[in-house]
Amino acid sequence: MRLIASLLLVLTSLTVSAHPVSYKDALGIMSYNSTQMNEILLTYSLNYNYAIGHTYIREKNSEFYIPRVNWLAKRWNNEDSQGNLYLSAGSGFEKYNNVTSNVRLGEVVADWESRKYYTYLEHLYMLRDNKDNPLWPQRDDNHTKLRLGFAPFLADYNDLNIWFITQWTQHNTENIEATQFMRFYMKNVLWEVGADFNGGFAFNFMIHI
Amino acid sequence: MKRIILIMMLSATTAFSKSANSDVKAQVPAVEAKSETVLPQELKVGVKGMVCAFCAQGIEKNFLKQPEVSKVEVSLENKYVKLKFKEGKTLAKEKIVSILKESGYESVFGE
Repeated sequence: MRLIASLLLVLTSLTVSAHPVSYKDALGIMSYNSTQMNEILLTYSLNYNYAIGHTYIREKNSEFYIPRVNWLAKRWNNEDSQGNLYLSAGSGFEKYNNVTSNVRLGEVVADWESRKYYTYLEHLYMLRDNKDNPLWPQRDDNHTKLRLGFAPFLADYNDLNIWFITQWTQHNTENIEATQFMRFYMKNVLWEVGADFNGGFAFNFMIHI
Repeated sequence: MKRIILIMMLSATTAFSKSANSDVKAQVPAVEAKSETVLPQELKVGVKGMVCAFCAQGIEKNFLKQPEVSKVEVSLENKYVKLKFKEGKTLAKEKIVSILKESGYESVFGE
């Protein structure tokens, strides 16, 4: 069961729950942490619709190094809301003990948010070449995440923003996991604290420079 | 004698008249030039899609990179960005549109 939970957390961590492409020349630093794993993601936005990035994940004896490219395929700038469609692809490797194997990923993200409501849907596909590792028998991974959130009050640009976000994730055909998050952000710093129903916790951190 | 006096008066009138006209002409370009150099000290631009303060940081950052801009104010509530310019400086509309686009947003200008 722990193994399954760890696998879920690792795969969840490979996704970016904020915009994977930011403004031109923006450097993004994101860190996702839980009791089972740590992740650091660096992104650099070449312009408003393309970003390059690198993901590093450490989980027990495995380490993932995955360079990736993120593309803002479509943005809807409405008067009171914004919608986005992102596509990402990456290719890197996984180190397990002293064995190295290739990993590739493809991701689709759609989100829509206003100052009051937030929705986020993502599907991640991973192809892992680590066929000799008995702890990771499944080579093709599909991971789906849905997030819904609301702001208890409308904060402005220089205020502390607070959001309540519920996240549902499903890995392949396994049971859906739910996690409750509180998100805070002020200026260019964002952080989230979360807890699931099994006593697990999560802490996410993002900054744009 | 009367003729001489009349001619002198006419000449003087014409001369003053020419002098007055040339003064007006000299003033017009100065006035026009002055009106061209009077630039707005600040400008409000509407922004579509600006709903997240964390995501909108690029607007402030990218405008402050411009040497013409001294201050940037962003309002999610009023959906605008207010630019304050340095003395005698301004930004062209096309440049403002471009900066907002690079920041991921769409500009809206009033009539």
